[in-house]
Amino acid sequence: MVVLSVFCLFPVYWMVVTSFRPANAIFETSLWPTAASLDNYVYALNAIPIGRMLVNTLLVSAMVTVAQLLTGLLAAYAFARWRFPFDKIVYTLIALTWLVPFQVVMIPNYLLVANLGLLDSLAALILPHFAGALAVLLLAQAMRSFPTEVIEAARMDGARSWRILWEVLTPNLRGTIASLAILIFISTWNEYFWPLLLSRTPENSVIQIGIQMFMTSEGTAWGPLMAAATLASLPILAIYVLLQQQVIQSFTKSGIR
Amino acid sequence: MMSQLSIRQLKKRYEGKQVLHGVDIEIEHGQFVVIVGPSGCGKSTLLRIIAGLEDVTEGEISIDGERVDDLDPADRGCAMVFQNYALYPHMTVRENMAYPLKIARMAKAEREKRVGEAADMLDLTAYLDRRPAQLSGGQRQRVAMGRALVREPRVFLFDEPLSNLDAKLRVTMRIEIKRLHRRLKATSIFVTHDQIEAMTLADRLIVMNAGLIEQIGSPVDIYRQPASTFVAGFMGAPAMNLMPARLAGTRATLERVSDYAVETGSFGPGRDAITLGIRPEDIVVSRDARVGLLARIDLIEELGGSRIAYCSVGEQEIAVVLPKAVSFREGDRLSLDFPAPALHAFDRETGLRLTAMNAARQEVANPLVTA
Ligand SMILES: Nc1ncnc2c1ncn2[C@@H]1O[C@H](COP(=O)(O)OP(=O)(O)OP(=O)(O)O)[C@@H](O)[C@H]1O
Ligand SMILES: [Mg+2]
Repeated sequence: MVVLSVFCLFPVYWMVVTSFRPANAIFETSLWPTAASLDNYVYALNAIPIGRMLVNTLLVSAMVTVAQLLTGLLAAYAFARWRFPFDKIVYTLIALTWLVPFQVVMIPNYLLVANLGLLDSLAALILPHFAGALAVLLLAQAMRSFPTEVIEAARMDGARSWRILWEVLTPNLRGTIASLAILIFISTWNEYFWPLLLSRTPENSVIQIGIQMFMTSEGTAWGPLMAAATLASLPILAIYVLLQQQVIQSFTKSGIR
Repeated sequence: MMSQLSIRQLKKRYEGKQVLHGVDIEIEHGQFVVIVGPSGCGKSTLLRIIAGLEDVTEGEISIDGERVDDLDPADRGCAMVFQNYALYPHMTVRENMAYPLKIARMAKAEREKRVGEAADMLDLTAYLDRRPAQLSGGQRQRVAMGRALVREPRVFLFDEPLSNLDAKLRVTMRIEIKRLHRRLKATSIFVTHDQIEAMTLADRLIVMNAGLIEQIGSPVDIYRQPASTFVAGFMGAPAMNLMPARLAGTRATLERVSDYAVETGSFGPGRDAITLGIRPEDIVVSRDARVGLLARIDLIEELGGSRIAYCSVGEQEIAVVLPKAVSFREGDRLSLDFPAPALHAFDRETGLRLTAMNAARQEVANPLVTA
């Protein structure tokens, strides 16, 4: 366990350490920066609108997370609680979309967004991720394993579907929802290709694009790059720490990995 | 008085599998009705259809004269207590009990008042701010009952509400339910497969078997005059002895015992293949070999208060309750006498009770019933 964690954490540590190294010592291999400096951060902050990009990324990630959870909950309720024509087939189709890499649908999505006149806008970054198969599948599964008697009790108490979904099911799926939220948030945060395709101006870009800007054809500015990457990973860390308890709980409870 | 709940020719089919085959029930205001029957006979299905949780395939249900088969569960005025409590895990006891009232948009003050009263009645006042996970099974079931109570429903439905509790708590809760019913006089339907619960709780008992009603009556009537061999064998522990016999005139010969005839009385012509029944406690036991049927004790069950002997005579197994005065041991011989008024006779083909001998029996039974 310990060995494994060191193995996983080392690159992160290296990133942070490198970000503090002055430009002349960037390829040093000592474990601790001999002379720490904030030059890289200053440079990075001046080179690209990092603040703006972080806010953009945060906005996009948060919106995508909320949107996917909402659409996921609604769709999952339908699949878990209702019988309708072709329900199994539709469910399978949704499951299959999960297996299709995003790159495959990127071009059609691009054309769609372009036709809507949304190029170089944050809305375009959010739109294709408004609903996700993973959210639907995970939530439907969680709802199916929720005791039917409790839902029937709610029906006897006068609750219709809308109330059952929001007042009975959702509050009891907090674990699943929290872990899903983290997964969606992180994967949106780290997304690169789709924003790369869409973004034209740094002001409308996300942080991953910003980071790549330090890799130019003339060479890579490792110091600022690491500084930007460190800044980019801080929010994720914060979110993780915030929701960690719920996630660990839900992982151990549901056995989902 | 007009009956409050009326079920006519109710049938239920699940994907081609018939579960209820035409059930008729009339329930009066304030009655406590218990439905009892073996596992899988359709008790829960019947209750869930009344609740509105399952659709009707055929037949009709009315409450207070109003057809309800097409109404939503919430609009039927029924409240249900489930076997696994079915409390909302994320709500406190107070919120659980107030939830149906909140949905009904009742004013907060009235809500609090009703929850307070119900909690008081059920001894839950100290637990109002706990969550279900922090309660014992008995407390959870009381919360479930409280949630049903606050709605002041027209009909209470219970689906084996006590079967998840341990034996001792089950008795306590049984008495509590009885007391509550005495106090509230609310029409209740209680499903169970525990016959002690059935006997003790019911004003009226419904015995079901394989999707049909076998008998409806007071617990005492059903015990004393079972309408069929099924009811005879199902109600009562140890179960009634059921012995194949041949009827000739007023005497029946036990088929599995060579040469022993019992005086029974007449049942009219054409009925010779019968099943003769007698409860283990009605058999008169003695050591006197001159009266009755000579038998050997195979096994004795000690129940503390009483002892049950399982005897064999020829091919026939017979269970008897041993008198306290005489001490018998396994392997002992004893003689069994079957008093005619205690005998039950059933048509072997249809399993239905033969009535002619009831006259004789009722003379004995009636004073006991009224006593
Ligand atoms: N949703 C369903 N689909 C198909 N068959 C069902 C369904 N629900 C119940 N059944 C069948 O209907 C029959 C009656 O079931 P029910 O639950 O009413 O029995 P029960 O008398 O309540 O038994 P128990 O004492 O075990 O609770 C059973 O054979 C069961 O398999
Ligand atoms: Mg049942």
